[in-house]
Amino acid sequence: MAKTIGAPVEKVRTTAELEQARRASTARRIANLKRWGWRIAGYAFFIGIWDVASGTWMSDRVLVPPIAVVQEIGVIFQSGELWLHLSSTLTKIAIGFVLTFLVGTVIGLLTPHRWWEAFFGDFVTATMATPGLVYALVSGIIFGFSPFGPIFAIVLASFSYVTVNVAEGMRALPKDLVDMGTAFRVGDRRRLRHVVIPHLAPYLFTGVRYGFSTAWKVTVLTEVFAANVGIGFTLRVQYQLFSMNGLLAWIAIFFILMLFLEKVVLQLIEQRFFRWRQEGKLA
Amino acid sequence: MAVAVASRPSLLLTRFLRSSRTARVLFPIAVLALWQLAFMTMESNILPSPAETLSFMWDEIRLETLSRHTLYQSFAISLGRLAIGFSIALVAGMAIGLLMGLFKPVEDFLYDIVVVTLAVPSLIWGLMTGLLFGFGNLAPIVAVIGVAIPFVILNVLAGLKNSPKELLDMSRSFEIPRMRAIRHVLIPSLMPFLFAALRYGFITGWHGLVLAEVFASSNGAGWTIRFWYDAHRAQGVLGYALFFILFALFIERGVFDPISRRAFRWRPSIASLPVVEEAVPDAKQFKIALSQAEAEETDSKE
Repeated sequence: MAKTIGAPVEKVRTTAELEQARRASTARRIANLKRWGWRIAGYAFFIGIWDVASGTWMSDRVLVPPIAVVQEIGVIFQSGELWLHLSSTLTKIAIGFVLTFLVGTVIGLLTPHRWWEAFFGDFVTATMATPGLVYALVSGIIFGFSPFGPIFAIVLASFSYVTVNVAEGMRALPKDLVDMGTAFRVGDRRRLRHVVIPHLAPYLFTGVRYGFSTAWKVTVLTEVFAANVGIGFTLRVQYQLFSMNGLLAWIAIFFILMLFLEKVVLQLIEQRFFRWRQEGKLA
Repeated sequence: MAVAVASRPSLLLTRFLRSSRTARVLFPIAVLALWQLAFMTMESNILPSPAETLSFMWDEIRLETLSRHTLYQSFAISLGRLAIGFSIALVAGMAIGLLMGLFKPVEDFLYDIVVVTLAVPSLIWGLMTGLLFGFGNLAPIVAVIGVAIPFVILNVLAGLKNSPKELLDMSRSFEIPRMRAIRHVLIPSLMPFLFAALRYGFITGWHGLVLAEVFASSNGAGWTIRFWYDAHRAQGVLGYALFFILFALFIERGVFDPISRRAFRWRPSIASLPVVEEAVPDAKQFKIALSQAEAEETDSKE
């Protein structure tokens, strides 16, 4: 008896209901197919326009057709240059982003403190709204071709995203837990470990996602002006050679890789770990 | 009593040091101090001292410049291009967004392309328009349109999806004429999304514009900072970098914040607005706007 309490009761369905359910699911499948049809039509349409425009509206040296880009990607893969530049760029992004995370979190954690918030407030706003070009050129001129340039630019350009999200998290810190901690005389460090950090996790993650998105863009941008190795460097070379297919090929490779990291990897992690948190997923 | 009198001057000093206004001013001072320190300790003579950079900036402000255009001309040219490009992006974006919101096939057709376009970095827009359109006005304007349009489209879409159905149904059942319903229910509900599109589309458009000017233009703010970079004049680069930062601060705090405070004055609590993330991949910016607005609210309450 105890085992059957709460077990789902099998609902007996009439023939009419079954027929209706089947019709509904078929209708859903057709609607789904229609949606996919339109989606694929969209892709085909834009690639088609690109192909047409390349031969007729603009010279096909200037606007190269899609095929040429694919061929060029193949050439790049074969030439072996890919790993050299890719690894250089990825290393800079990795180091820069770790620093960004640290700086952004520390400043964000200081937010509840009125004085520090006023101290850093304008800085965070300004760095968020300044074009990445500024960071690229400033680090280029200060650090020259050294890899510290991109790292410096990354920290300045993307720490504000981490900070803003951590600040948001601190604002939403559950006051009852904090008060309870004070009442039970829990120390600051223990409170940080057991209350603040777990609460901040989803905010940190959002900040990381958007900070990372900015970080890789600024890295490539800095490399365009001030590097002799790396994806940005190859982009500049292709630009100076007026080679649209080279430019598009390198862009496609790097861009697809980064999009993969951003959308697939990070979003998957976020969905898996924070599925249970509804209010955490604020943005 | 004697104790209180003796401690009053130090109390004033402590209160001065502790106030947030001091903190706000202290940051640029700290940066200048660090900069001066770096200048004195760094061996390379590429880093200019704060004094040199500030005097360069002062010269620029007084219209004494070595570059082809003055500070004001460069920014004016850039802002002009931004205005043209962004207006086109707004109009086209709203039209496309409305079509997408109203007709599902259109949405399925265009959605992926819009999301991909949103993710294209401004650098790529700059390089591509540079190669495609050469020098002149067209490249920067197209770059602005490319950067800002997906923003507008997605925010309009999100706004339409979030339209308050209950209120619209209620207005229909009370037989309120359509125009009135649109004016008093639909448009105000779209306002936060339109504002987010305007504010962050503008700023992102500005980033894209400046980059396009670097690669494909012979005037404008982006070109000018590149000019100083190529001339290897660090105080030029740093000076213009500071102009950019000041401009960004001005736009954020001086233009958009007051507008957002006035426009959303009627709203009791901004945090109660639902934010749609799946439909608006860049809702982060909107959320940042929300948290900033909230901060302003709590600031003004104190």
